[in-house]
Amino acid sequence: MWLPVIGLMVGIVLGLLTEIRIPEEYSNYLSIAVLAAFDTLFGGIRAYLQNIYDEKVFVSGFFFNIILAASLAFLGVHLGVDLYLAAIFAFGVRLFQNIAVIRRILLAKWSTNKEKLEKS
Amino acid sequence: MKIMKVKGNHVILSLVCLVLGFIMAFSYHLTQLETQQAKPDMTDSQYKETLSLRNELIAQEETNRKLQKELNQKQAKVQKNEKELAKEAADFNSLAKDAEKYRMFLGKVKVKGKGVKITLADGAYDPNQDNVNNYLVHEHHVFKVVNELYISGASAVSINGQRLTSRSYIVCNGPVITVDGVPHPAPFVISAIGDPDVLASSINLSGGVKDQLVNDNIVFALEKVNEIVMNPVLGN
Repeated sequence: MWLPVIGLMVGIVLGLLTEIRIPEEYSNYLSIAVLAAFDTLFGGIRAYLQNIYDEKVFVSGFFFNIILAASLAFLGVHLGVDLYLAAIFAFGVRLFQNIAVIRRILLAKWSTNKEKLEKS
Repeated sequence: MKIMKVKGNHVILSLVCLVLGFIMAFSYHLTQLETQQAKPDMTDSQYKETLSLRNELIAQEETNRKLQKELNQKQAKVQKNEKELAKEAADFNSLAKDAEKYRMFLGKVKVKGKGVKITLADGAYDPNQDNVNNYLVHEHHVFKVVNELYISGASAVSINGQRLTSRSYIVCNGPVITVDGVPHPAPFVISAIGDPDVLASSINLSGGVKDQLVNDNIVFALEKVNEIVMNPVLGN
């Protein structure tokens, strides 16, 4: 149970300790990757709460989304179109939707629990 | 079996979490570094303060520059004044020398130097000559000698120890000669300061003053003196 949390901690520590400097023009890719990771994470949480969680979908979606977002931004830079804006937009919208769904589910669960407690 | 599956789940999930954490932390770290580089920890008020201090510094430097320029100008002025003062001092020095020289010529100070001494005496009594004036020293004889001495470059002349000045007058007054109102009897000793050789040779010129005086039966004597001292003119 604590393994994912430990993994998160190790990841944060590693990220803070690395002294690798990426050039200025690649920072866009990183931000999009972060956004994609968040999106997938919240998507996974939502799926888990809706009981449609599939591990393969989650893991493959996590990595694939990150790579796709980065490559889309890369393509956009080389085509002269700001495609990373599209990625940010899409991921942002989905992020908010996912969070909203999670909130509703949690609220519904909380209220049903409360009703149960009152009934009993 | 179930435990194994759950564990496998967790391993994959923790891998995902690790990647997520890494990306997040890396991004955060990078952004932090960039912002630090862009403007190193400066709040608005600090920036304003820095700006005002900078402006003050610039103003100070401008003032310094202005003052430095002024200083340079003043120094140049001072130098000019000093030069003028030095020149004035030199002028005064030469003026003082001139004044000293003129005082010597005017007979206001005691002078001494090489020169000649000429003695004019009346000739001996001659019974063949019925006019006694023919062998007496007259004032025009003294004039001749004095003029000749002055022409030859004498700096100062005195008769019987009395200095002659530019305003002196010599008058024949019966048996004596009056120099500036002071009577002098014969013999007359005329002293002159100047180059003794020049003065002597100019007086001794053949057909010159000496010969004329000797023709007038006057006893004439000339000697070169190494040091003549003349006292200043009394009275003024």
